[in-house]
Amino acid sequence: MTSLRPPAHRVHPRARLMWQLAAGTEVLVLAVVLVATGVVADLYDLRWWMPVLLAAYAVVRVVVVPTWRFRVHRWEVTPQAAYTQTGWWARERRLAPMSRIQTVDWDQGPLERLLGLANVTITTASAAGALSIGGLDQATAETLVAELTAKAEAAGGDAT
Amino acid sequence: MSDWQRLDPRMLVVEPVSELRRFLPVLLGALLAGGFARGGGLGWELLAVAVPVAIGVARYLTTRYRILDGRVELRRGLLQRTLRTAQLDRVRTVDVTASLVHRVLGLATVRIGTGAGAEQDLELDGLRAPQAQELREALLARVAHEAHAPDDADAAAPPAAPTERPVLRLDPGWARYAPFTSAGVVAAAALLGVASQALPDSAWRLDRLPDLAPAGWGWLLLAAVGVLAAAVSSAVLAVLGYLVAHWDLTLTRTPTQWRLTRGLLTTRETSVEDARLAGVVVREPLGLRLAGAAELGAVVTGLGQGEKGTLTLVPPAPRAVVDGVAGAVLGDDRPTDAPLTAPLRTHGPAAVRRRRLRALAPAVVLVALVTASVGADLLTPWSLVLALLVLPAAIALGEDRARSLGHLASEGFLVSRSGSLARHREVLGAEHVIGWTVRDTWFQRRSGLVTLEATTAGGSQRVQVLDVPEHDGLVLAAALTPDLLAEVGYRTPPSQ
Repeated sequence: MTSLRPPAHRVHPRARLMWQLAAGTEVLVLAVVLVATGVVADLYDLRWWMPVLLAAYAVVRVVVVPTWRFRVHRWEVTPQAAYTQTGWWARERRLAPMSRIQTVDWDQGPLERLLGLANVTITTASAAGALSIGGLDQATAETLVAELTAKAEAAGGDAT
Repeated sequence: MSDWQRLDPRMLVVEPVSELRRFLPVLLGALLAGGFARGGGLGWELLAVAVPVAIGVARYLTTRYRILDGRVELRRGLLQRTLRTAQLDRVRTVDVTASLVHRVLGLATVRIGTGAGAEQDLELDGLRAPQAQELREALLARVAHEAHAPDDADAAAPPAAPTERPVLRLDPGWARYAPFTSAGVVAAAALLGVASQALPDSAWRLDRLPDLAPAGWGWLLLAAVGVLAAAVSSAVLAVLGYLVAHWDLTLTRTPTQWRLTRGLLTTRETSVEDARLAGVVVREPLGLRLAGAAELGAVVTGLGQGEKGTLTLVPPAPRAVVDGVAGAVLGDDRPTDAPLTAPLRTHGPAAVRRRRLRALAPAVVLVALVTASVGADLLTPWSLVLALLVLPAAIALGEDRARSLGHLASEGFLVSRSGSLARHREVLGAEHVIGWTVRDTWFQRRSGLVTLEATTAGGSQRVQVLDVPEHDGLVLAAALTPDLLAEVGYRTPPSQ
């Protein structure tokens, strides 16, 4: 075996929708700025390549990246460890033992609340070692927090 | 020591002096203003002196501390009062510092760290020097005791008789390495900058060199002398800085701690408990490497993050000295040098290609840009010659960085080396590895490489193994933390 197997579970499919919505908003703002400065205020000549460039950017941000990201983002909790995989172009897998877990955080942004999703963040004594699982179903996230807290406590250790 | 106590009364001298120093800009302003307003008397000047002095005195009068019920408490402030508490069983480091003013008056500052970051440290500024030492001993004896008998089963057993053994004493001759560090280079660059402002433009216009000869040889000579002067003075500054910071540096081994004292004007004394010493970093920047020297830092947990997480144990010194101290520190009482001198596992051809490419690519882009600019008549052809000089430098850099790459699992330590201009070899104890991060970009995946990081609570919070083949990286991780890797189904394959 020459490579690390990916974590077992995918995040919730609605996470992809959330990433698309966030990226869509960003693209929309850019489009509004382009129209406002180029057409309404007429600050410069609107060339044909400007909207084309924006459209290409929109395709990448709204279609390609969220799909790619959804294929990468995974998580797993084993009896003694937490294991996550995030990213898209640059992929990052993080592994931390239960005995070193310091805090388990649960949080939800406005967009996530709308879609019934939540994030779970696991911190260790290393500032470089936090594991973050974004885009979980709200109920799954709550169960996960309870499970991690219980396991971390059972694993003991001073978490340093 | 259960009642609230004041700091040493001699702080009545130190506090106003340091307040005056803080108020110096205001003071100067007042003096200047006073100069303009002749006949106005000394009112403003007096006020400008009296206010800082009053603040200093008030600070002394309102600061009290006590040690009670297993904690240290510090109360201070007149208008905004603060009470800072440190649990004795949470004390991780105790520093004793004495600035020049403190030393003249026989005082010292005790800084008690609980590992929660520098802002949370509890500082007792102004105890008599012997009293400061006493407090330090008491605090650390307690720390050591807790560490060795956590279940208070044999709480009555006194700690072993303190035997102290010096491990290193600084040889002032090592200051000769100071100019080879980046400090020397930075000083030289700063001086060059000043020189460039002072010299006439024509001395720096390389594109006009042919025009300068022979009439301009004088300027050229002047420029050469200037550069030489800058180099010499930066070297002298670096040596002086080295001596002031590290004068009389002594590293002492006590039964449970490492103690480091150093400093010419301000003396500093830092103690690190064994359990907090996670590993070492041997730094060999190019200059030091060429001079056969290196620098040693200790990765300490609970010192706070970033730069402060590493404690310089040995300033630039001969490589053999650094290896010796590192071996002593890593092996506690039976020195080991395998993690420092054993040959490292190389990262293979794909990693070498990647280092070369990443060093060369920016240089090629630069040359292309300059070529285009010369073509468009924006730059003189001379600049192309300069740009082409960057290419061999980039190639050499890439080769050296490729040669530096290596890792090893040795005697329970993770060893990783990388870098060229700032080459460093990091050694981290396996028990201080918290978890792992495996990172790979699309390019890295194509060549089967990953960047493996062991996360830890000390130093820069991570030890990086750059561009390692994924299989080798996993073998390394499994060798150090087999249980953790087994959790995700990875077991070390039987050795071939």
